[in-house]
This record gives sequence, structure tokens and C-alpha cells, in this order.
Amino acid sequence: MPKYAMVIDQRRCIGCMACIVACKAENNVPPEQFRTRVLEKTEGQFPNLRTELRSELCNHCDNPPCVYNCPTRASYKSRLSGLVLLDKKRCVGCKACVAACPYDARYIDHNKGFADKCTFCDHRIKEGKEPACVATCIGKSRIFGDLNDPKSPVRLALKGHHAELPMKSAGTEPRVYYIRRFGTE
Amino acid sequence: MELTITGANAMTNPVLHIWDWRVSLYLFLGGLSAGLAVMSSLMHLQKKEDRIPAGETVFMVAPWLVPVILGIGMFFIFLDLDRKLNVFWFYLTIQPLSPMSWGSWGLLLFTPISLLFAYGTLPEQRREWLYRLPFMDDLATWVKPRMQYLALANAAMGVFIGIYTGVLLSAFVARPLWNTAILPMLFLCSAMSAGAALMIVLAKDQCVKLFYTKVDIGLIIAEMIIIPLFFYGQYVSSESQRLSIMPFFSLNHEYLWYTASLLFIGVIFPLALVMKLAEIKECHETLCSSDILKMNLSAGLVLLGSLVIRLTFVYAGQISKLV
Amino acid sequence: MPIMSRRSFLKTSGICTAGAIAATYLPDQFLLWAGEKGLAKTEKITTYCEMCFWKCGAIATVVGGRVVKLEGNPLSATAKGKLCGRGNGGIGLLYDPDRLKHPLIRTGKRGEGQFRKASWDEALTHIADKLKKIKEEHGPESLALFTHGSPTEHFMPLLQGFGSNNFAMPSFAQCRGPRVVGYELTYGDDIGSPERLDMASSKVVVLIGSHLGENMHNSQVQEFTDAIGNGAKIIVVDPRFSVAAGKAHHWLPIKPASDMALILAWINIIIREGWYDREYVAKYTHGFDKLAAAVQQYTPEWAEKETDIPAAQIMATAREMGLHRPAVCIHPGRHVTWDGKDVQRSRAIAILGAILGTWGREGGAYLATRGSFPAVPPPSFPASNRPTLKKGGFPLGGAEGVTNAIREATSIGEPYPVKAWMVTGTNLLAAMPGQKETIEAISKLDLLVVVDVIPSDTSLYADVVLPECTYLERHDGLIIGKGRALSASIRQPAVAPMYDSKPAWWIAKELSKKLGLEDYFPWENFEDRLNELCLTYNIDYDELKQKGVISFPDTAKPFITADNQPVFKTKSGKIELYSKELEELGFEPIPAYEKNEEPPQGFYRLLYGRSAVHTFSRTVNNPALNELYKENELWLSSVQARKMGLTDGQYVALQNQEGITSNRVRLKVTERIREDCVYMVHGFGQQSKGLTKAFRRGADDQQLISSYPVDPICGGTGMRCTFVKLVKGA
Repeated sequence: MPKYAMVIDQRRCIGCMACIVACKAENNVPPEQFRTRVLEKTEGQFPNLRTELRSELCNHCDNPPCVYNCPTRASYKSRLSGLVLLDKKRCVGCKACVAACPYDARYIDHNKGFADKCTFCDHRIKEGKEPACVATCIGKSRIFGDLNDPKSPVRLALKGHHAELPMKSAGTEPRVYYIRRFGTE
Repeated sequence: MELTITGANAMTNPVLHIWDWRVSLYLFLGGLSAGLAVMSSLMHLQKKEDRIPAGETVFMVAPWLVPVILGIGMFFIFLDLDRKLNVFWFYLTIQPLSPMSWGSWGLLLFTPISLLFAYGTLPEQRREWLYRLPFMDDLATWVKPRMQYLALANAAMGVFIGIYTGVLLSAFVARPLWNTAILPMLFLCSAMSAGAALMIVLAKDQCVKLFYTKVDIGLIIAEMIIIPLFFYGQYVSSESQRLSIMPFFSLNHEYLWYTASLLFIGVIFPLALVMKLAEIKECHETLCSSDILKMNLSAGLVLLGSLVIRLTFVYAGQISKLV
Repeated sequence: MPIMSRRSFLKTSGICTAGAIAATYLPDQFLLWAGEKGLAKTEKITTYCEMCFWKCGAIATVVGGRVVKLEGNPLSATAKGKLCGRGNGGIGLLYDPDRLKHPLIRTGKRGEGQFRKASWDEALTHIADKLKKIKEEHGPESLALFTHGSPTEHFMPLLQGFGSNNFAMPSFAQCRGPRVVGYELTYGDDIGSPERLDMASSKVVVLIGSHLGENMHNSQVQEFTDAIGNGAKIIVVDPRFSVAAGKAHHWLPIKPASDMALILAWINIIIREGWYDREYVAKYTHGFDKLAAAVQQYTPEWAEKETDIPAAQIMATAREMGLHRPAVCIHPGRHVTWDGKDVQRSRAIAILGAILGTWGREGGAYLATRGSFPAVPPPSFPASNRPTLKKGGFPLGGAEGVTNAIREATSIGEPYPVKAWMVTGTNLLAAMPGQKETIEAISKLDLLVVVDVIPSDTSLYADVVLPECTYLERHDGLIIGKGRALSASIRQPAVAPMYDSKPAWWIAKELSKKLGLEDYFPWENFEDRLNELCLTYNIDYDELKQKGVISFPDTAKPFITADNQPVFKTKSGKIELYSKELEELGFEPIPAYEKNEEPPQGFYRLLYGRSAVHTFSRTVNNPALNELYKENELWLSSVQARKMGLTDGQYVALQNQEGITSNRVRLKVTERIREDCVYMVHGFGQQSKGLTKAFRRGADDQQLISSYPVDPICGGTGMRCTFVKLVKGA
């Protein structure tokens, strides 16, 4: 079974937000709702400043609180792809998954009422394509691939750099790694 | 630190806000019916049903109120669902790790048990008009010898519901205010206390009222220990937990409601306690109307406190986040 | 006996209605699924984007007649297989309900925005009749064209066939004109659009005032991130801590409008320390000794006083550049119309690049392809015996025309009256400083025609508004790429034009018929023309349609080698560090420093820039992009905010020295900007009610730029010399 994961090389993110727009077009996300976001954090005092650009999305955790909190098994971890996906017809809209996610990755589709989130564009993965956000990433900051394949872009990216997992202490075992070099280094 | 987020969802940014008073009301009513179930089963559990004073109706009214209050509570939580038509999916799957799943099945089990018990508490005269319906006669015969088991089941379900309303919230690692083992205990205590308080209001007989007052005193004392312990526990835990209780102790106008509710709880529970302790001193004397007023008032304070706890926790928990 | 019972009629019609409604609201994902299953027709149509001017090759996925996705064409050098946020958001423009839908004829006063719908025939006849009258009374030169982007190719033959040569593109005098002139004077050639920068191989990248990243020039930003990823040293000179500054090893928070001092100091240091490319300078440049002498006075200590940048940092950054030469990318800037001395500053930057030997070298600026297609002889246009207005008396006014010159000529009616303007593909009120002057000039017109896709602010003043369909619905001219390699790109419609909108080629052709100028449009529809061109260029039209881009990689000879020597189209045939041409015209042959005015007490210099999800004023109303950045904010130093008792998120208005007050704008109190300036994104504060999402959101920086210095060499308007103060309680 492939172990799909993403590596975000924060050095290369240029804050263009193309990923957000591409994802919305690809997945028909309703207006004012988003499956991925970009944070711009600046610290320091003039003129000693540093800015971090950071894109966040569903981490398709291996220990996903949203899956085991779902009362109807609408939220499930796919046995084929290892991704955390949604069987929308089963969703009751109880919002337990929205509360359970430490990464604020989920939202309730305000047209249809079911919970929704990033799917790593699994419909594209099935066609051998990268997720929409990765395909359009101007900075080549978003890297996608199969962790079980030593030649995949994610393995290569992780080989060369120290990467961190977000909120590791939450015990969710996320699959999105962050190479956190940014600023003047 | 300057932070700009592009692509944030309003329901999770800047803080989570997905659950509102409907969920709090459900937790309160669920807890109240659970507490009521336990309290109203006490007589049968202790095999003291023949000691029930004549003219005391609470032991046959309260068991009926249990499914009614529960039903109202479930109605409110149903209102909170965003895909109401899919509600049947709750009953097509058992998710052992999801407290919501426990709840949906538990409530499914609770309702008939409470109805059976309630049916069993009806005296003969009241039951007769039901015998027109098929099986009610046989049911009455079946229920009568099993009252103690039903009382036990009712009380057990009550305890389960009381705890489960707390587990519902405490299961989320992402919400540090809730993510503590003491929360289900607090909710259980609060639910039992609310049940006892309602019994006090409904009861007619002075001794019954005083009995439940004593029960309630014990429960309030327990709550008054658990609540500070809860805050202490959060305070000595990790940063997320420490930050999660800050709104309660903040003088910022943004967190006004939380500080106010903490003050409120910190005031009314001792107040109710004191009032109840005063009431006990007056035992074995005939209750005049002012005494009854005081009893009902203190019971009302307890109920209000239970509701405020639910409201506060539901809202405060959503503004807490893992850092 | 009726054919159908009432019940079954109601049932059938109910189902049909429901079906029709469902089809209209079917989510794109359903369409995608249906497309996959072969239930709905799916097509991939190649085109090039027009969300900005970078012209990235794009591929539109069309399912069931609806564009559901836009992706970058991997064959396009400007896209490299990716689209930026605006490119992805093109679908939002296509389906924006606020789009112009029908030709409009003005009923109220100019600026009121009162129009009535008209048919194309009526609208075009109206225009043609007026133009004929104006031609009779005032001559054909009385018509001027302000244009930008792909409509240019269609309306130019109309203008010139009519007999006028008065056209101007705001991209010259309001944007990169001074740079074009500066580089042409130095190297004989502009550095190109897109700029021919070999950034991915650079060891040092220097951005002077450029906020690359926030200005989203697709392939250039991609190469910038490649440079970052490759560990290139990034030097950013900017009064504001931009996104690019956030990636920089050296951020020089320069005092605004003193950049010339820094550049001249750098040149001085590099020469003084011997960090320049001696061989290259000897072989390819002219006037080095004069340059060395002229810059001697610009010491780092002197520059520190002018720029607020410590001398040590000036030295250190010069050293970085010098040590890593020639793989140094000195970004030439693009929007360089800052202070009216912009040609000279561009020259200085060009000179800096030259002495480091970067032109034609890896990591510097690569040479343009010498490949070209066979020339297509232009049609013969009627000659004019009146001088063209487009140069405006500026000696190097530029082939693209000086907009402000034509505007002024219109206002004063000298040397001859201009009575008609056609404005195509540009929002003049947002593009040009001095909005009052623009409105004043418009009041002198007998006819103002605006061709646009959305109801821009300028369209409010038009006599006739013509709705052009979006780029996704039309054919346009071939883009001939002359970057590294020769290429040709096609634009073809992904879907048919919506509402009653029409492509620019159709509008121009139909209008030409009414003016008796149809000979200049000798084809039935534009696709015929494209076919013809492809025949001439020896390109397979069908292949081009399928691929979207056809390139000729063999035509790429980007770097100087023994048998690939650069050609400098200057008088001396070399890189002119010392410009005799400028000397002859009476200007400084070597750039010299002239101090700029600083804001008076209580005022701040108004700086403006771009957002990565917006293109000037044209995308603010786009639903897909608006939701990411709904209104601009005013960046204000937190120290200044504290002094004035202002908090983050508070609304203020801006007032310039002439008392013009802007719309309210939200404050962004930040550490990221100097205390003497404020910054906001350009393109907001729009006044057109038709733009329901953009209407009066944010403030309009252009509104405040009411007085501006003009570059005497080329006519460029310096737009970063406006001083504003903050007005509370807005």
C-alpha cells in the first residue's frame, strides 16, 4: 500500500496563494471555504525581522482523531491509499470531526451540510497526477509522493533536510512534513 | 508577532465555533434526565418502595419525565446536525471509539428502559386506561417483579449518560480545555446534582424533599471539590491546557462571559449549599411556604449552575487550541 | 381528447424544469465525473492567460461546455506547467455575474454610470458616425487610442487605417518605459518582457525595489524560488520587509527615493575594489574610465547618509556581488516610474550589471534569441502631415507612446484638438496619476469609447461601452516569444462568448466596416488570419492548436561564447557606460545623484505595490480572487501607530498635500516598514457600482497621486513622490 505524504519546503514558498485557488477550482469548494491555507508570520522588531510562510492542509494522519470520533464512519482511512477520506452520504453533520482535528483542516460545506476537507486530490492520484496544489505550486514548495518509494520526491526532499511534523505531541501521526528553513538562512 | 492567514475557514478561525447553545442545552438536559433517572430509581434500588409516603407523586412523575426531558434534549442536538436527513446513519454503524456513537446507541437503549421503569412505577389505578392497548396488561405483569432490575438498569444508564456527556467533550485532543479525565466526572456530578435538585422541586413530601436535599448537599460538595481540581489540573499541565483556562481568569472584556460564569458558579454553589444546610436544620418541622420557596430557590440555583457549566464549557472549550 | 393528461403534462414539465435547473447548477465536480465516464464532453483547450501581462500558456479543461479548471502549459516558457493564483482564478472572471454583457450607450452625465443597453449595430454605428464627423471637422489625428494587452493588435490597424498615429500604452509612461529607455541607451536593447534573467543559475540576486513574489510574474518567480532553493544570496533593497525581503540574506531598508545613491555607491565600490569583470569591461563596454571618475564621489559613507543603510552593509553587499560575478542577477525592475529620474536610475542599474559582466552570462541576463519568423509586411496606412502626439515632446518618448502627453494635448487642444479616445484593455483612471486631469481631458472629448470585460471606473465616463468577451472565449494574436528560444503561442476560445460579448477582433472588424476600413481586416474571422500567419511562419496550425505552444529550442543561444558574440545596437557598438546620445540630448551621460524631497512633518511617502492574487484593478471583483484579498490595507510602522494612538485593524483615510482624501482603508500596523512611508496594494477603492464586490472596498492610491514629476527623457510619470497624512475616524 502506498504511503502518500507531502513535504512543504517553507524556504521555497513565496506566498503566491496559487495553491488555494487551484484547490478550490479542482475540488469545487464553496465560496468563502478553503481546504488549504497559507500563513504569513513575522517576528522581530524593525529592522531585525524574519517571516515564515507556511501552507497548511489536512495531514492525512495515521492516527486520525477525526476518523475515530466519527459516529457514522463517514470519515475513514482508506485501506487502498492510506488517505483520510469522506464518505459524504454517511455524514450527519455532527461536526465532531471538525472539533477533533488539531489542525483545523475540516469545515462544513455550507451548501450541503456535510463535513469536507482536503483529499490529497485522490481523484488525481488515481490518474497518476499530483494534487492540484502541488501541480500549481510556483515555488515548488509543495512536494508530494509515496514515502514507501525511495525515489519519490518526498523521500528525496526528506533525505536532504531536517523536517518537522506539525504538533507531533498531539499523537496524530501526521503525514505532512515541514522543512522549516526560512528567512535569512 | 504578526500573523496573516489567507484561506482560513470562518468556523475554525480565529477559534473553533461549531457548537452553540443547542449542544449545551442537550448536554444539560441529557445530564438532567440521567440524574433524574438515578435519583428516581433510588427508592426501588434500596428496596424502600413501600416506604414512599402516601400522596407522594414524584416517584411516578419523575420516571416519566426522564424520557421526556431526554427527548427534548435530543431534539435540540438534532437541530444542531447539518445533515438532518442522514440521522439514521447513527444507527447503521457502531464506532467503538466515537463517544457520539456510544451516545446514539446508548440513548437508543436508555429510552425503552426508562419507559419500562416509568411504566412500572405507575400505580394500578393509573394503568388501567392503558390496558385497552394490546400487550400493556401482559407488560405490567412482566414488569412488576423485575422492578429492581429495571431500577438498576435505569440508574446504570443514568450514570452512563451522565459520564458520556462529559466523554463527548473530553475525547478531543485538539481542544485542551476539554481534554481531561476529570471532565466526565464533573459532568456526572453535575448531572446527578441537577437530578436531585429537580426531585426536590417535584417532591411533595417534606421528608422526601429533605432526603434529596441531603443527597444534593453531598453532590454539591463533590462539585465544589472537582471544579477547583479541574482548574488546578489544567494549570499544572502543558501550555495548551494552561492557556485554555486563562479566559476564566481574564479581566479582558473579550472574555467577560467566562470570567462572569466562573464567578457565578463560584458564588451560587456555595450559596445553594448554605441554603440547603440551613434547610436541614429545620427538619421535622412542618414546612411553611417560605421554606418551600427557599428549597425550590436553592434547587433552581443548582439547575441553573448545571446549565451554566455546560454552556461555559462548550463555548470556552472551543476557544482553546493546541499550541 | 387531449394528447396528454393534465397530470402527466405537469409531471413531464416538472421533471424537465427540474432537470434544466439541475443542469445549470450541477457542480463542476459532477461534470468532471460525468466527463470521466464519457457522459459529458470533456475537452482540453490550449490558450494563453490574460489575467496579467505575463501571457502564460494555459490549458482549459472544458466539461459539458463549462470551464472547470485551468492549468499551466508545460510547453510554455512563461508558465512552465504552472499557473499562479490569478491564472487559476480565470474561471472566476469568466463566470463573474458583474461582467459587461451588452453594448451600452450613455444616457446620464459622464461619470454617473447611467447607460442604456444597445445592439451592436446601434452602438457601432453610433461610434462610426461620430468618428466620421470628427474626422471631417478635426482630421483623423483627432482620434487617440489608449490600449494594453491583446486588444492592441486589433485596434491598432483601425486607428492607423483611420489616419491617426496617436496611441499610447500606459505600460510605458506609467510602468516600465524608463527601464526600456535606460537599457536601450546602455545595451542597445531592452532586457525584455519577460525579463531575460537567468536567475535559476544566479549566485546572487539583487532586487532593488522589486517585490518579486508579491508581484506574481509566474516563470520569473519560479526561477526566483529556484535561486533561493539553490542557495543563492538574496539582496533586497526595499523600505518595506516584503515577502522577498523575508527570503533575503541582506535586507537593506533603504530610505525611499534614495536608491540612486546606493546604486552609484555600489558601482564606485566595485570599481574601486577591483571587483568588476575587467575582461568583459575591456571587451564590451565603452566609457569605463569616465564612469570610474564620475562615481568616485559616491562613497559608502556618503551613501549611508543618503540612504540610511550602514556603510558596512553597503560594502558587504557590493562584495557579494563582486565576488560572485558574473553570476549575479541585478533585477532591472519593471514598474520603475518612481520619481521622474527613472531613466537615469535604470541606466545606473544597467551599468552595474554591465561592469559585473552579467549581460550574456550564466546567472546574469541571457541574450535574446536571434531566431525570428519571416516578416509580414505591414499594410500601408495613410500618411499624416501632422505630428504624432504620442511622443509628447520627450526626446526618447518611446514606441509605445506617452499616455500623459496625449492626455495633456487633449486637455489643452494643442497642437491640434483630440476629440475622440478609444480605451481598450486598460482602466485609465486607475493606471494614470492625476485622475482629475484625466477627467478634465475626457470632458473635452466628443467621443469616448471603452472596450472592456468588466465595468471599470473608466467605463463610467464612456459614451459607448463595448463588452469584450474574456480571454477564455476568444481568438487573439499569436504571441511570438523572443526570450531564450523563439516560440509561438496560440489563444483560442475554450467556450463560446457569453451574453452579448464579442472578441476584440470582431469589434474592430465590424467597426472597420462602418468606417470603410475593412481592407485592413482582410479575413473573414480571426482564425483565418491565424491560419495565414502560421503558413507564413511555417508552423503547423493544427499542431499549434493542439500543443498551445511551438518552440524552436535550436534558436536559443543565451550566453556569450566564442562563436556567439553579443550585438549591442548602440552608436559605439558596445555597452555604453557613458552615453553620448544622452549627452547630445542635453542630459547626464553618466547617471548622477539628485536628492529627492522628503515628506514634511506629519506626512508619509505613499508607496504602493501588488498582491500575489490580484492584477491592478482588474481582478478585485473576481469572486475566486476577491475572497482571498477583499480590500487593501495601509501598512504603517508600529512606532508611528503608537505615536498617533492608532491600532491594527482601525480604519483611516489618507489625505495628500492638495487635500484630496481617499476612501477609508484598514490599517496594518507592522514592524515591516520604515517610519517615513506607508504602503498599500494598488487597484482598490473602485467607484463603479457595477463591480459589486470591489465597490468602495479599500482605498485608491492613484486618487492621491495628483501631482507627480515627469521624466524629461521619456515622459514617465513618477508616482512615488506623493506625501500623505492619516485622517482618523474614517
